[in-house]
Amino acid sequence: MRQIRGEIGAVAKADGSAFFEMGNTKVIAAVYGPREGFGKDGETHSYWSENSRVNYKVENRSQQISDQALVRCEYTMANFSTGDRMRKPKGDRRSTEISLVIRQTMEACILTHLMPRSQIDIFVQVLQADGGTRSACINAATLALADAGIPMRDLVTSCSAGYLNSTPLLDLNYVEDSAGGPDVTVGILPKLDKVTLLQMDAKLPMDIFENVMQLAIEGCKAIANYIREVFDVKACVASMVICLVLIFSTSDLYMGIFLDSGIGGHYNCSFVLCNIFVKKINRNPQKQAPSDGSTCFYGKQKWEELLISTRDES
Amino acid sequence: MVSANVSGDLSSEMEVDAFRRLFPLRYHERFLLDSIRPDARPLGRARDTSLALGAVASADGSALAKIGCTTMLAAVKMEVMTPPKESPDEGSIAIEFYMPPICSPLVRPGRPAEEAPVVSKQLSDTILRHVNVVTSFSGMINLKELSLVSGKAAWMAYLDIYCLDADGSLFDAALLAAVAAFSHLRIPVVSLNEEGRVVVVSEENEEGKSEKEPVNKGKRKLTLSSLPFSLTCILHKNYILADPTAEEESIMETLVTVVLDSSGQLVSLYKPGGPVLAYASAVQDCIALTRQRVKELKSILNEAISDMEVD
Repeated sequence: MRQIRGEIGAVAKADGSAFFEMGNTKVIAAVYGPREGFGKDGETHSYWSENSRVNYKVENRSQQISDQALVRCEYTMANFSTGDRMRKPKGDRRSTEISLVIRQTMEACILTHLMPRSQIDIFVQVLQADGGTRSACINAATLALADAGIPMRDLVTSCSAGYLNSTPLLDLNYVEDSAGGPDVTVGILPKLDKVTLLQMDAKLPMDIFENVMQLAIEGCKAIANYIREVFDVKACVASMVICLVLIFSTSDLYMGIFLDSGIGGHYNCSFVLCNIFVKKINRNPQKQAPSDGSTCFYGKQKWEELLISTRDES
Repeated sequence: MVSANVSGDLSSEMEVDAFRRLFPLRYHERFLLDSIRPDARPLGRARDTSLALGAVASADGSALAKIGCTTMLAAVKMEVMTPPKESPDEGSIAIEFYMPPICSPLVRPGRPAEEAPVVSKQLSDTILRHVNVVTSFSGMINLKELSLVSGKAAWMAYLDIYCLDADGSLFDAALLAAVAAFSHLRIPVVSLNEEGRVVVVSEENEEGKSEKEPVNKGKRKLTLSSLPFSLTCILHKNYILADPTAEEESIMETLVTVVLDSSGQLVSLYKPGGPVLAYASAVQDCIALTRQRVKELKSILNEAISDMEVD
């Protein structure tokens, strides 16, 4: 597999953003949401304008779902991202297809029932393309969603693999991809060990396909470990801060049953605390905590909201 | 005791945030009375600027410019075309500016940003008109350098600028990125093949070189004579704020953009209306601020170029 690098917080304006690199393929993803699903009559102010008003037309009113969040995704490639300059960076068939693929993959793992009537926008921009753009986009989108604090079942990681000259190859670049062999892209939820995305073009005998798919799944797991490390560094600081605030503010701390930690040593601590909140909120029947047993992945912003809401009750 | 302090801090912070959202103009004016801005900058100072050349390896020249949080990625790709009959010795430049939805929550796929075509036009006016002056004063790029074979082949340079984060002063960052991308540009080596078509000679083809004479030897840089730099200022009552953020731009709407070239001469001045009317003295103050900024930007660009050459 090529060298990978991921960073969160690339775009300051976005609710969550990430930059992901797999070899020479560089992708930037930004997540905006959950935000207003154009429900009312379209009069949304821009935040800071006191005197002027911007009217947004009610475009997506019919698409708003009353019990789930709407997930939208757009995939665009920069004009200079490929070897020859592209004429039409978005709206062509390949971009539309990849947008749909990414949207369905992420929709499967976001807990959309927690955010009814809202909209989550995922925008992915390819800055440099050298094969494996689909996988890099999904990995970047996962990082960005986690940075935005949107609750998800698990991370989604993706990797591609191929078969050239009777050898299975992991993470093809552009040259290898255009050599004409099959290209298998796999997207999995690593902790739950479930496959969400599987695409292949060209023909492969079944047994070789099994090998290639297994190889791709291992690649995905390696990327998942890397992504967890990226978060551990960030979460370390976040959880320390939250620990201190919590210890001073909650009047009684008690041990709850903790949900499966999943993400790494530092997150264990954060999950315990998250649970303490869940218990505290449950005292008040108006607030609802997620009651299905799935692993919840709450970002720092969500914890702050919980903190403020518990303060309001007490 | 400690918990009371912590809760006090949090609630006062929320009140400040609420005040900032509900009465933005008053919030900013309280800072302006002390001649300072919410991010602790004095009125005439621009945000931290950084520049990285060669950000995109697949392009012939590229640069990533960041002014505060505003991020622009510019890349130049060269293609060969036949020059038009009126000017057989000149190449041409095409500039496009994109604001993809990642840059700001106000840009959505169905509705492009209002500022995108405005900045795009401003950029092409500044760079291209600066280029086409045929008198003794030479502009930034001499189009004759982009010619390959007179009348038959010339370079077309496509400059694409992508805004990756929009936080005010879009034109400044875009112009800086464009100038830096042109400074980083290396024109690829080409040669004429048998059918008379121009092909790009790849570096690895050592054996095939004897048949094809390269039309231009070695990768060369463009000679840029006078580089334009700009500064956007906001006029509000008696104050002049340099390098506004998106928040400041949306509440105080009078913008003035001054473009000076590296020798200190005025290239363009742009004041698109706005509630505040400026006296000549205010405009001259803006020009003076721009002059200082040009010196800073020149040194940043030179540092970035020398960093690249070390590599």
